[in-house]
Amino acid sequence: MDILIQVLTTAIAPSTAAFALAAIGLNFHFGLTGLLNMGHAGFMLLGMYGFAISLREGWPIWLAVLVGLAAAALFALLLGWPTLKLRGDYLAIVTIAAAEMVRFLGRSQSLAELTGASTGIRGSDFKAPFEELSPFADSMVEIGPFAMHGTRSSSWWLTLVTWGLVGVFALVFWRLSKSPWGRVLKGIREDEDAVRSLGKNVYSYKMQALVIGGVIGALAGMLWAIGNSVQPDAMGRPTTFWIWTLLLLGGAATVFGPVLGAILFWSGLTLIKALASAFIPSDVLAPTSLEPFSLVLVGVALMFLVVFRPQGVLGNKKELAFNG
Amino acid sequence: MLGKLDRRVLLRAVAVFLVVAVAITVALSTGGSADAATGSAASGGGSSLLLQNLFNGIVFGLLLALASVGLSLIYGTTALSNFAHGEMVTFGAMITYFLATPQAVTFPLLPFEFKINMPFLPAVLVGIAIAVFFGWVQDKMIWSQLRRRRVGMVQQMIVSIGLSLALVNFIQWWMGGRPVRLTTSIDPRHQYGPISVGNVTLISMAIAIIALIGVAFFLQRTRLGRATRAVSDNPALASASGIKVDSIIRIVWMMAAGLAALGGILLALYQQGIGFDDGTKLLMMMFAAVTLGGLGHPYGALVGSLIIGIVAEVSTVWLAPDLKFATALFILIIVLLVRPQGILGRAERVG
Repeated sequence: MDILIQVLTTAIAPSTAAFALAAIGLNFHFGLTGLLNMGHAGFMLLGMYGFAISLREGWPIWLAVLVGLAAAALFALLLGWPTLKLRGDYLAIVTIAAAEMVRFLGRSQSLAELTGASTGIRGSDFKAPFEELSPFADSMVEIGPFAMHGTRSSSWWLTLVTWGLVGVFALVFWRLSKSPWGRVLKGIREDEDAVRSLGKNVYSYKMQALVIGGVIGALAGMLWAIGNSVQPDAMGRPTTFWIWTLLLLGGAATVFGPVLGAILFWSGLTLIKALASAFIPSDVLAPTSLEPFSLVLVGVALMFLVVFRPQGVLGNKKELAFNG
Repeated sequence: MLGKLDRRVLLRAVAVFLVVAVAITVALSTGGSADAATGSAASGGGSSLLLQNLFNGIVFGLLLALASVGLSLIYGTTALSNFAHGEMVTFGAMITYFLATPQAVTFPLLPFEFKINMPFLPAVLVGIAIAVFFGWVQDKMIWSQLRRRRVGMVQQMIVSIGLSLALVNFIQWWMGGRPVRLTTSIDPRHQYGPISVGNVTLISMAIAIIALIGVAFFLQRTRLGRATRAVSDNPALASASGIKVDSIIRIVWMMAAGLAALGGILLALYQQGIGFDDGTKLLMMMFAAVTLGGLGHPYGALVGSLIIGIVAEVSTVWLAPDLKFATALFILIIVLLVRPQGILGRAERVG
């Protein structure tokens, strides 16, 4: 029973919603356009840096959000410029390199004044303006079996905002993917040359998709940071790979794939850890080994998923985005 | 006999290397004079610091080259960007530690500890042999199956990402989060002019250079090597002329795994310890090197590695040491802007 509540709490947690939102962003890149963005965590990290640093400097919250989004948009333009004309795996290598570069810069001692180096930015330095907007009580609130704080950090307030935004952007994705613009993107994913021969500017369309997805990723990063704190090392390569895993799990190019994927991925991970610590004796699997053990399973799951069910749970086999 | 094309490529490699060397010397002398002009307390130390860093860069570049040549060969013969190659580097060092350490070791899911405590050199050899075997197993169990099923390149790349995630966490589970040291002895350092260097580093360099020359010899002068280059050039045509493409690819995987393991062992000796994610961190440098030199071009990987190593180490003269990887990645992005096919790559349509 405890395990069930643990799993359900993970399923509705704000950070799960933040990952769902990040995956919606990646869905614009990969699902819709077929772009191999392997540095999505970099967009998230840039977003949270822009947001948290602006708030720490005392700027209003709407401006802080804009700064975070603008940083991600600029990053996308910068990345797309050299690579979108090249083959897909170049974009993969450049995005992963650029995301790591952002992380290295963020955790570097030489920028400690701005980014707080490897310790990052503490939540108390930037969370207040968001928490002041909360309509909920400033204490623990229990709804059914779930207990969360009303206002602070991973709160009911944040839960409402994150899932609300997930809903909004799922809707945006649905509308855009049905629009003429979305059909061009899908065309690029299926056959770039065909779209080019119809007189569309493929480069520009790809760039638009990259910017939109990156901006959504940055927004997800901000929401994640409100629930936790700004942590450069939490946004390394593994984070990008988790987003990929959960997107492929749910089903790329589908509206609800990212949402379902995020819920399944994080509650599944919680379930595995809880079951393993309950049933595997600790001299076979030490408590410290639980984390790597469950991530080994994630890696293996990703491999099998891509080979045997690349369309994920919700996806359509015909709508496959693996064209490189 | 070197083919016409190979000679041209080699010439270009030498030319590029000379240009880079000249550029660095110029930078070095201006850096030195700037230092003298400001008359800072460390004046005179400036140029020797540069020389030392240049030397460190060459050492790091050679070790990086061991790892990235394999990555490049795999890319050349199968067109796969193998994201699990960094773990092969860590694996080589870790298996050597596993065999050689006098401390009790264990293996995931085994509830008891045991000691192997082999002497160091046999442990290195057995470790590399195990890594080569691992390369064989990987190709046999995963990659050849995927090729047979005609799974797309992008899917295979994501499979390698999954493998990388699984392996790095497996190594953490196995060895714990703290770095391990292959030897406990302290390496005495010698002073040669402005450069101070330990014996182990010198031996590592020698081994790396011998191994790299071995790879070049294999590729240029042996039948298998020629077949490898043929597969790399055009798999369909190679297959049509009677080359067993699948066996060649398997040999490439074994070679790549062995070279990566050797690189990992030497790296662990050079930086006096290796952590579970050091290879994973190195992967970006390898990709930078391979892309810089020209994807799929083994000599390109060598040139790229040396440049990346030197850039990373020399940048620490002016920039904070924790920015050296960021600098190397920045160079990669700039090169892709200017010359996307890499330094040695032929200009062709890549998109």
